[in-house]
Amino acid sequence: MSVIVLLIAAGGTVAAGFLGAFAWAVRSGQYDDTCTPAIRVLLDERPHARPHEGTTDADPDR
Amino acid sequence: MRAASLEFGRRADTADHCRHCGEPCGFGDGAFCCTGCAAVFAILAAHDLDGFYACDVPPGLSQKQTADRDRARFAALDDPDVAARLIVHDDGRRARAAFNVPAIHCASCVWLLERLWRLDPGVSGTEVDLLRRTVTVDYQPAATTLRTIAEHLASLGYEPAITSEECRSGPRAARRRLYLQLGVAGFAFGNMMLFSIPRYANGAPLDPEFQRLFDGLNLLFALPVLLFSASDYFRNAWSACRTRAMTLDVPIAMGLLALFGRSVADIAAARGEGFLDSFAGLVFFLLIARLFQQRMFERIAFDRTYRSFLPLTVRVEREDGLTPVPLEHVRGGDVVVVRPHEIVPADAVLLDARGAVDYAFVTGEATPVAVGGGDRVRAGGRAAGSAMRLRVLRDVSHSDLARLWQNPVFSRPKRRWLADVNARFGAWFTGAAVALAAAGALAWWPDASAAASVATAVLIVACPCALTMSAPMALGTAAGLLGRAGLFLKDPAVTLDLSRIDTVAFDKTGTLTSAETRPLLETSPLPDDAWTLVRRLASASAHPASRAIAAAITDTKMDREGERATAVFEVVGQGVCGTVCGTRVAIGTADFIQAQTGAVPFGPEDATFVAAGDATGWVRIRPAARPGIEGAAARLSEALDLVLLSGDHHGDGARWRRVFGPRMRFRQSPDDKLAFVRGARDSGRHVLMVGDGLNDAGALAAADVGMAVSDETACMTPACDAVIDGRRLASLPAFLSYARRAREVVILCFAVSILYNAIGLTLALSGALTPLAAAVLMPVSSLTIVGISSGAMRWSARRMLPA
Repeated sequence: MSVIVLLIAAGGTVAAGFLGAFAWAVRSGQYDDTCTPAIRVLLDERPHARPHEGTTDADPDR
Repeated sequence: MRAASLEFGRRADTADHCRHCGEPCGFGDGAFCCTGCAAVFAILAAHDLDGFYACDVPPGLSQKQTADRDRARFAALDDPDVAARLIVHDDGRRARAAFNVPAIHCASCVWLLERLWRLDPGVSGTEVDLLRRTVTVDYQPAATTLRTIAEHLASLGYEPAITSEECRSGPRAARRRLYLQLGVAGFAFGNMMLFSIPRYANGAPLDPEFQRLFDGLNLLFALPVLLFSASDYFRNAWSACRTRAMTLDVPIAMGLLALFGRSVADIAAARGEGFLDSFAGLVFFLLIARLFQQRMFERIAFDRTYRSFLPLTVRVEREDGLTPVPLEHVRGGDVVVVRPHEIVPADAVLLDARGAVDYAFVTGEATPVAVGGGDRVRAGGRAAGSAMRLRVLRDVSHSDLARLWQNPVFSRPKRRWLADVNARFGAWFTGAAVALAAAGALAWWPDASAAASVATAVLIVACPCALTMSAPMALGTAAGLLGRAGLFLKDPAVTLDLSRIDTVAFDKTGTLTSAETRPLLETSPLPDDAWTLVRRLASASAHPASRAIAAAITDTKMDREGERATAVFEVVGQGVCGTVCGTRVAIGTADFIQAQTGAVPFGPEDATFVAAGDATGWVRIRPAARPGIEGAAARLSEALDLVLLSGDHHGDGARWRRVFGPRMRFRQSPDDKLAFVRGARDSGRHVLMVGDGLNDAGALAAADVGMAVSDETACMTPACDAVIDGRRLASLPAFLSYARRAREVVILCFAVSILYNAIGLTLALSGALTPLAAAVLMPVSSLTIVGISSGAMRWSARRMLPA
């Protein structure tokens, strides 16, 4: 019995972690555009960060 | 929607097609079709961005229309009020702004626009949303301005659409919430199945210790589903009850409450494990159907008023010269200057001696109107020929154009047929469910606990889950597939309205005809060498009529070499005159020809006259019909009533008589069109209005379905329920029969889901509805509906819709 309780607690924690990750993904806008990223990965270089600058320009919520 | 469907079928690159846009060219060395395309190509090459052309068809859009745009047109963005409409976020050091760019259409656009920083060091990054056609730009306000960014976008051929209309934040927040609700429901559903399956698999009650643990956990997981995921259903049902319009949300909310309440009661009394897994599953499936309903074409603005069509800024004469002033600040009495191809922002009086105004967009009249000094020019007209100085008569919001929008059809939300069906069905269903529950309870009376359990069981199975899913799934799938074929619906429910159309009203100019197809030319007999002279003069003029003449004559009777016209002068609204090979040549009105050459031309009243020396003749320019449109109209007229509502004069009526017969109305004002559509609806008809201009806006709003025709780059469509790609207008009969098929599929799904409800009800009334039966019945019925609706719609789309 206690083993099962332990397993359920562990499983529940992992599942809740995934739910949290999903909530974060939705809130950070990853589900706002489900079409363009599929195209973007096929393009060659990374367009956002400029090669000669650091990542300081990157938007905090992206 | 896949990106490929956004790619319009253009011809692959060959020697005589433009390297930028792939259209046939006749400009310069033959590599480009126009100076605009050549300019964009040069900018891209200079910034090492020619990777843009790496795909198999030239990805650019033709820049022919952009050549004479005003360079200062983005000056309004220096105004903080106007800029605030675009800026999402600005902390002084870094800022982010969102532009709506209708020209975005393919992967190359994404590639190019996300490299905007190569053109402007102040830009730190861009992000393109292909479906919504927006570009989000991160920039440093210290290093660049919004105006510069807009000008950079425009220089690449991606003119941002900045209108006077307030941009709404859009349904983004609602979509995110739906995704979260779906995630929570799916999470709970999955975990609860894990706790329920041991009980179902065991066949007999579990060890009480385990059972209590599992029940407690189920309850814990069910709470967020009840309070968060399903909250919209309870809210909708409550507002439906208050307005006494029983939608299907009412029995859904009843069923959900019965499921949850009965389960809590069962668990509390240790009578059984309850139906909590079915409850979470039900909410999960319902939300999936909602997701289908919400997947809209957000890149298309369906609700526009006249303000979207007016320029953002107007050049007003002030003491210190010509200043760009935001549209809202233009007052009666201001003197404004409107350049060629710009829209007149407000009703005004012409201060120049002459001018020409093209009202095609406002009235549907195809040919520009000549105006003289002191004449009134109405808002919405486009300056043709030369720039005009005008004195504004009254504020923008009081113009004749704005008056149409005061009609109540614009303020009343359109009632969809689906909403009617839903309300009628909902009332019937609620009544039946309550009556059956009461009857079941009475039958088991006086055994109070059995009666309560039968009554709740009835309410549970009567919950029209599959029924509620039928329409959104079938119509949502249909709307998505129609969009892929070129017909974009504002709401999937429009499909149902399309399915019962019995009258189709067409606008003519811009709808049946198109400015993009080459115009037809009727000409009088004239010697070939005279035509040659006329063509050379025409090619020296930028007037649309001259261009049409030059283009049309090239094909038949023209050598490409030869002397150019000299001493050319153009009188706005009258004609153009010049000397070619020593002969005086003129094109224009009869009076103009006579004044310039002395020859007296004669011919049809609405023709343009030409003279080369003594020889005179005439040409008549007709905008050509869209390809295939006549056949499509003929096919439609077999089953439906067709009407032609044109703002144009009688001109080419004969051409359309074959299709429309006597049902043609010309010289229709916007109010006439609205009144016609309203009258037809009042006499019980279901009207589809197909139009393109502001003059159709009233009729589009009044019709059961208002369908706006849009050509590739021109994304300015009036408020409507559907937008159709102009090149797909000939497929309208197929779209309408597909909509009728969608209705049949909805009815089939209704029948199947009623069958499931009937099975559930027999179980419930006999007291045999166990949690296991519910847990099986509910997903099976939902999945059947999903399968039937999307399968049937996809299969029909392949057979019925154009590829």
